[in-house]
Amino acid sequence: MKRKMLAVVCLVFSALLLFAQTSKPVVNKNPVTLKLMFFSPELTDQYNDMAATYKAETGNTLDITVLQADYVTVLRAKLNSGDIPDVFMSSAYADNDTYKDYCYDLTNEDFMKQLEPTSMTGVTVNGRVIGYPFLVQSHSFIYNKKVFADAGITVLPRTLAEYDAVCKKLKAKGIQPFATGFKEWWVLPQTAWQVMAPIKDSFGGDYAKFVDQLNAGTVKFSTLKEMNTVFDVLDLIKNNGGPKPMESDFNDQCSMLASGKVAMIHQGNWAEDTIRKTNPTIDIGYLLGPVSGPADKAGIMFDSNQTIRIAKDSKNLKAALDWLRWLTTSDYGKNWIPGKILQLSPIKGAKASKAELAQATMDLLAKKTPNYSWYYQRFPTGTEQGLGIILQGYCAGMTNRQDTLKALDSSYKKIVDASK
Amino acid sequence: MKSENLKRHLRSTLEFAGFTVPAVIVIFAFVELPFLMSVLYSFTKWNGLDKVPVFIGFANYMEIFTNDPNMMQALGFTLLFTVFMVFFTNVIAMLLAVALDSKVRGKNVLRAAFYVPNIISMIIIGYIWRFIFSKGFDSFYALTKIPAFQLSWLGDAKLSFVSVVIVSVWQAIGFYMVIYIAGLQTVPKDIIEAAMIDGARSSTRFFRITMPLILPSITVCLFYSLSSALKTFDVIFSLTFGGPGTATTSIALDIYKTAFSDSRFGYGSAKSVLLFFLILLVTVFQLSLFKKREVEA
Repeated sequence: MKRKMLAVVCLVFSALLLFAQTSKPVVNKNPVTLKLMFFSPELTDQYNDMAATYKAETGNTLDITVLQADYVTVLRAKLNSGDIPDVFMSSAYADNDTYKDYCYDLTNEDFMKQLEPTSMTGVTVNGRVIGYPFLVQSHSFIYNKKVFADAGITVLPRTLAEYDAVCKKLKAKGIQPFATGFKEWWVLPQTAWQVMAPIKDSFGGDYAKFVDQLNAGTVKFSTLKEMNTVFDVLDLIKNNGGPKPMESDFNDQCSMLASGKVAMIHQGNWAEDTIRKTNPTIDIGYLLGPVSGPADKAGIMFDSNQTIRIAKDSKNLKAALDWLRWLTTSDYGKNWIPGKILQLSPIKGAKASKAELAQATMDLLAKKTPNYSWYYQRFPTGTEQGLGIILQGYCAGMTNRQDTLKALDSSYKKIVDASK
Repeated sequence: MKSENLKRHLRSTLEFAGFTVPAVIVIFAFVELPFLMSVLYSFTKWNGLDKVPVFIGFANYMEIFTNDPNMMQALGFTLLFTVFMVFFTNVIAMLLAVALDSKVRGKNVLRAAFYVPNIISMIIIGYIWRFIFSKGFDSFYALTKIPAFQLSWLGDAKLSFVSVVIVSVWQAIGFYMVIYIAGLQTVPKDIIEAAMIDGARSSTRFFRITMPLILPSITVCLFYSLSSALKTFDVIFSLTFGGPGTATTSIALDIYKTAFSDSRFGYGSAKSVLLFFLILLVTVFQLSLFKKREVEA
């Protein structure tokens, strides 16, 4: 009896195998397996969905490794040992220089013309395009619209004084104005550098000139008058950030905003997914961040930073380029970022994302609200954490403004010297 | 007769080698060799990516001593942390060992309970305590209104030091307790009884008889707690990440940040070589001090 059943099961399985063999939709004589290294593990499902579709449409396999905290370490070890992935991710700007020996020059690829020219700034070096802008993201203050309405706030704040007034109103209603995120070393620089974003006006509108002078040491944090406003904004957030402002991390920010316990957080549109996990129906929007300068300079930070790079020496170079072309021109590829990842796509004429913060970004841009590029990504690699930790020390009351500025200058100089 | 002796000698040598050589090979490949390589790298400027590191002589070492406030801050933190850590783990572990070596009801359960933190991953412990210190304490405050729960245990520069010490001690005591219990069980009962007959009080019995007899255990525990406190990394990494600012950055974490965040692998190697010599110096001093005083029952 048992043996009979086994035989039947075997038969069924072999029949299934046969069918599986014959029902393959695409005939690809030389299927290629591409090795990819990506970060942002929160997008793993979307990566896998894309890889599955690509395999179904072309027969080529995408072998994607997704890492976060030790991404850079692992990538460097692989590049060093010659085990180079065909495709990998990095930041834009300063990382152009870091990985210059490994990146394929995409300037003359036909599909690159399908991308918005504004998203190319971060991946262009001396007129050569050496990376593919993957996502367009924005960050500023995010507010809970219901909490604002309940507190009777109808005019959205733009300047430091207006933010201060809003905080007083919220506190009077018993609502904590901010969740700081100050435990996270990457939140602090994002918050701080947005405040001095209009600094480009002092350098002919060109951030490259500003960063060049910072690198050369002719401009220093301790002599920038904008830093005073930076400290004022950090103080404001800290003083209105509840009893334990230094313990708030990304998850705390998202859950506090989602549950209506705080009114504002400084974050980017990537936070929306996490916020909606706590409160799927929340109504949120962007506030213009206060800046050092006139009120009409207040804006949001908007750029494409996450970058896809094709390895120059890859054995599967052509296949890797075919994949990028597919990602840019196929129906699935065009819909992938707005439809599945729910963020902003750099492809020309891409559909608008359904996500509320992505839409808010597009609305603000359409209204010609000031938007600034993520110029701090031009600072040498390593400064984000180094300077973030110094700003954290200031917020925890360990250093005063004078000493903080000195520490910023000396830390910046060290990393510049090391990267020479 | 002579060849018989030689044979035996050869045999025991072979036996000895058979047991030790595999371990020596593994330790050489995975501990000594990387260490020697990091000594080499400590004389270079290397960002971890360039194919060829640039030889720069002693410049890295010069920088540590002349121009690195972060390293000095980390050194200060680590030394202070080590003092607190060694003192509290050993005293508490010894007290627990004495208590759990006597005839207490349920002592096996208690021994296990105190040992459990030692077998949980340090990273997990860091995250659990991070939750307790922030969300947990918030709830405790809402329930009890005790102001201590409202303090920022991980956000205040001074308190975060206390938090790191508390968690590290809590995690470590189980291990040292077991060593002390083992030591206490080797103390011959007849000597203690003799002392009792002579009229020695319990404190005298402990300090004059038990303590000298378990000095080997104390030597081991001090040595081990010293070297692990000087190298402390994982609890801090997951509990505070050295913050706020650099308030709880230990030397090991500073090395990690130098290498992997600043991309200065050569400079980080130089720091780790110095950390090695610091630990070597402190522990050799401690060992030679204590070995002299050990007595046999």
